[in-house]
Amino acid sequence: MKRVPQPVTRDLALILGLLAAAGLVPLVAGDYWTGVGIALLMAIALTQSWSILSSLSGYVSLGHVVFYGLGAYVVVASWGSLPIAVSLPVAALAAAAFAFVIGLPVLRVRGPYFVILTFGLAELVKFCVIAIEAAQGRASRLILGTPGLDTLFFLMLALAALATLLAWGARVTRLGHGLRAIRENEEAAQTLGVPVARYKLAAFVLSAAIPGAVGGVMALRATYFEPIQVFDPMVSFSMIAMAIIGGGDDLRGPLIGAIVLGTLSELLWASAPQLYMIILGLLLVIFVLFVPEGICGRLLRPAPPMARR
Amino acid sequence: MLDTLLSGQLLFAAVAISATYALVALGLNLVYGTMRLLNVAHGDLVMLGGYGAFWAFSIAGISPLLTLIAVAAAAAALGMLAYRGLFRGLLASQRAAARLESNSLLLFFGLSIIIQNAVALAVSATPRGYEYLSNVVQLGNAALTGNRLAALAIAVALLAAISLFLRMHLFGLAMRALIEHREAAAVVGVDIDRVQLASFGLGFGTAAVAGALVSMTEQVSPFMGFPFTIAAFVVIIMGGLGRIGGGIAAALVLGVIETYGVALTSASWRSILLYGVFVLVLMFRPQGLFGRRAVVR
Repeated sequence: MKRVPQPVTRDLALILGLLAAAGLVPLVAGDYWTGVGIALLMAIALTQSWSILSSLSGYVSLGHVVFYGLGAYVVVASWGSLPIAVSLPVAALAAAAFAFVIGLPVLRVRGPYFVILTFGLAELVKFCVIAIEAAQGRASRLILGTPGLDTLFFLMLALAALATLLAWGARVTRLGHGLRAIRENEEAAQTLGVPVARYKLAAFVLSAAIPGAVGGVMALRATYFEPIQVFDPMVSFSMIAMAIIGGGDDLRGPLIGAIVLGTLSELLWASAPQLYMIILGLLLVIFVLFVPEGICGRLLRPAPPMARR
Repeated sequence: MLDTLLSGQLLFAAVAISATYALVALGLNLVYGTMRLLNVAHGDLVMLGGYGAFWAFSIAGISPLLTLIAVAAAAAALGMLAYRGLFRGLLASQRAAARLESNSLLLFFGLSIIIQNAVALAVSATPRGYEYLSNVVQLGNAALTGNRLAALAIAVALLAAISLFLRMHLFGLAMRALIEHREAAAVVGVDIDRVQLASFGLGFGTAAVAGALVSMTEQVSPFMGFPFTIAAFVVIIMGGLGRIGGGIAAALVLGVIETYGVALTSASWRSILLYGVFVLVLMFRPQGLFGRRAVVR
């Protein structure tokens, strides 16, 4: 096997350096900027995780919010009985376990049907959680005594770094090469001996874990839990838009997409949420039609040394 | 409990929702069958049709039964415009079509988000409704409102008319031929371009009509479309691509599961049942319940 390509590892060092620098934000800036930082770091953690499965293998998940929501549910349900040092890892494990269980039947479905199936699955889980909560006689929960903003910021920073590391690992190992082969031609990859089903499942599980923990942290940040909010399909939609706009194949793509859309969301979400969604939809349509390789693929690597496809 | 389950009222509700699903799915079947791209914005046409009827009634007092024709024509025009302006070009070039295939769903999802939020921005996200033909009619032991009866009658009539058209009329047969086997249809002299144009018109038009009918009995809101898209997918996958009879049978199965399921549990189970059937069908029976050919390739 060929040696690890150099640029990806350089990108990793660059991103981790940026994240380390971002760690200064709570120390020098006020709560407002710390809050903005949490939102951006969340976007980075989610989009990097999403890209492990969807950008590399081409199995575009439109239901990744299900892992985020399940993680939030685990942390909230165990609030008061488990410390977050335990409940956050459990949230990640629960999300990964769920991906493992549904992975085999779900990953047999391909192309646009996989996309719509993941969406339907996330909605199904959402309505199930709503029904479970309603059966216990509550529509929402308040969580008291959550950690302070700075703690949540550093937790999210760690998750963003971890997601980036996982995304890097998935790109430089056999797994990543196999996933890219699956994306280009699944039958050919299988013929050449890529363990297709195992790789897809591994990528699915890897891409589910961090979003589970992210959901848990965001539930603590909201101090409020409502199934319809933590399972909002727009979370999935944002992940896709960020990865596609940034360019998901490149390790820097999810970061750039998350920063671009995260900033836009910060400017517009509170004042004009519908306008934000319209812009998001327009951007997605434009990028899918005209710039499918994303900002990274188009601008940052204009002349690759050799044909990469 | 047993009384409720055996009541004519519940049976009627099941048939009524089935007819709506069948109508929405028929439109999606035509568009999907000829284009082979999943239009997840199909449900939004239902929503737009519903708003058309709502506005015409609440602003000008025009009966939704009249608006039906107008929204059908407007949506059909929109469909033909979309075909001529966008899809014909995209489908003509093999490379563009191949590239689009993998991302088509994201494209339509983006469009759907734009449409939904533009409507929410232009009016408001609050659900709206109106009272039309809400007098109660006694039918056997079931008490029904006039608007439900009228909506069902129109949906069934339209379904019957389109089925007959697709079975009897030469142009309808050409549509089915195109859905069945594109190349073969071209070889035997089907004018692909005209048939596709007509399929878009008919598909978009029926969705808008379904929306106008739904608005007579239920509230309209910018985000009401998606469950209809999902229901239509279930119906197409279970019933089979291009199979009108299979689609109607599948719509009845879905309508019965949903209506009786909700009666046995509670209203909050409606979505669980709809998405549950959707997920199960897509995961385990992609070849359909009545058809042999796979819809999911």
